[in-house]
Amino acid sequence: MAHISIKDVHKNYGAVQVLKPFSLDVEDGEFLVLVGPSGCGKSTMLKILAGLEPASGGDIFIGDRNVTDLAPGDRDIAMVFQNYALYPHLTVAQNIGFGLKMRGMSAAEIDTRVQAAAKTLGVETYLERKPKDLSGGQRQRVALGRAIVREPQAFLMDEPLSNLDAKLRVHMRAEIGELHKRVGVTTVYVTHDQVEAMTMADRVVIMRGGEIQQIAAPDVLFQKPDNLFVAGFIGSPGMNMLRARAESGTVNLLGLKVPLSASVADGTELIVGLRPEHIKAGPGPVEFTIKPHLVESLGSEKYLYFDGHGQIYARAGDDEENSKGLIARVSHSGPIAEGEELTLSFDPADLYFFDAQSELAVRA
Amino acid sequence: MKRTTLQNVTLYGTVTVVVALILFPVYWLLVTALSTSAELSSLPPIFWPENPRFETFSEVWAARPIPTWLLNSTLAAIGSVTLSMAISILAGYALSRFSVRGAHSMGIFILTAKMLPATLLVIPLFAIFRQVGLIGSLWSLVIAHSTLIIPFTTWMLKGYFDTIPRELEQAAMVDGCSPLGAMFRVVLPISTPGLAATALYAFVLSWADYAYARTFLVNAPDSWTANLGITTMRGEYTTDWNEVAAAAVFVAAPIMLIYIFLERYLVGGLTAGAEK
Repeated sequence: MAHISIKDVHKNYGAVQVLKPFSLDVEDGEFLVLVGPSGCGKSTMLKILAGLEPASGGDIFIGDRNVTDLAPGDRDIAMVFQNYALYPHLTVAQNIGFGLKMRGMSAAEIDTRVQAAAKTLGVETYLERKPKDLSGGQRQRVALGRAIVREPQAFLMDEPLSNLDAKLRVHMRAEIGELHKRVGVTTVYVTHDQVEAMTMADRVVIMRGGEIQQIAAPDVLFQKPDNLFVAGFIGSPGMNMLRARAESGTVNLLGLKVPLSASVADGTELIVGLRPEHIKAGPGPVEFTIKPHLVESLGSEKYLYFDGHGQIYARAGDDEENSKGLIARVSHSGPIAEGEELTLSFDPADLYFFDAQSELAVRA
Repeated sequence: MKRTTLQNVTLYGTVTVVVALILFPVYWLLVTALSTSAELSSLPPIFWPENPRFETFSEVWAARPIPTWLLNSTLAAIGSVTLSMAISILAGYALSRFSVRGAHSMGIFILTAKMLPATLLVIPLFAIFRQVGLIGSLWSLVIAHSTLIIPFTTWMLKGYFDTIPRELEQAAMVDGCSPLGAMFRVVLPISTPGLAATALYAFVLSWADYAYARTFLVNAPDSWTANLGITTMRGEYTTDWNEVAAAAVFVAAPIMLIYIFLERYLVGGLTAGAEK
């Protein structure tokens, strides 16, 4: 096990900078998740970390070793790929033991370690099968076995669950989390799925356009997003965003004067964020009435879509949900019909404020 | 979707016609080999001899150095396949995996060599081989055939390598392989269908050559290949076409047998990459 230190690593393709100077310290034994939309540079960063792609500049340390110019096999890392990348011509046992064989380990030692890794992951009965004879979940376990058998300094995982169906993904998510707790190896995990990021990570790095947006623990990201992008990215359904202007310590929101908890000058253009789950059915500190134009029932809760008094702020491409209207996520509400008048409420303390120009969070 | 009777009739009718057209030369070769000279010159032509004459095969085998010709063809083809595959595996892999500047143009340039007719290349090749003393040697065929084979097999293999996920090599490199080690330990073993199809294509191209063999080997009877040897069976005034056809059956049989045994690899190899 080792800590990982990334210092000013960047990547250019000609004049295009796909990864802006990136610095990050991953603690020994930490589970760190890189998350962001497609093309944000998270997989590029992981490949640079693995040595599969050269950086245009910067340094990478694994433990105390500068591995920037080392070949992938010399970095003492193991990687799990999105499509498993199991060698189709080798059996499960040969797949798991491949890395050990490459390191010149004796056949007896390889066999012992392969058996132990297979037992840990529950694949000991498939050892003589070829990857094509395994299910998706079994393949993923073999890929994990190939990683843990080497006892590397760090695990790198590139969207390892994205090829699995929803149910198996939840199961494997828990298994990976449990495995990490058991072996305690420093892990850098890449995903585009915020649920994976929030449920698995000790810390999450949110990326966009090759740049780090925020590094924080999952709860902190949810409660204190640094900017509009993070606020919109974390949470499902996404945060409601409304345009408003600061006026004498208040903002006009959905036709109501709502006290402004942040300190901003009068006339400042703001984007006000309100999470769907912070809107309650029934009376509360700030009440308003709506006529939902769409009601989606999930059984235990309902998503109500309603008009936003012309204040809705939808970031192109980022928040497609917001284009359908504002969303309230209410539970235990009883039957609600589309077009039926309904009273909702929220607590002004749950509002988020962002500067409309810089898109940065405005806090008290 | 269930086909209608008309669609079935059209489909099977078309397939039957196409198969008949393809197999007719094979059938005619057999009829010619099994007929007597008199039957061959009869009008109207006969479509199956009354008493098929199988002795022609043993007579030709005894009278002509067919085993030597077949051996020479085999040696030239194996040499051409070995040289061509060694070069085109590396070239095809490089074209598939490394995006260096000018790689695509270089690939196209390689392919243009395939567009030049053999008759155009035979003269400069003859001049070169004469200077280095290869005229009359099977090595001249190995080199000449490789110049024809490599451009196409390079592209064929590039197409096959393109279908293999790069993550497999990346996984091998993380596991401790060098880039070349990843190619030999992972990519090539899983490319067997593509390699088999490509090697067979190269083998057939070399086996079927006549022009180069006629030019480089005509004065060296010990090095004659099967195709060249058969053409010497034509007499000045008469030709025993049944003997020529019997010899041609000996030449065609190995290729046909190889196709039958490797058919499943071939279909897999040739259609690889057609879908993701």
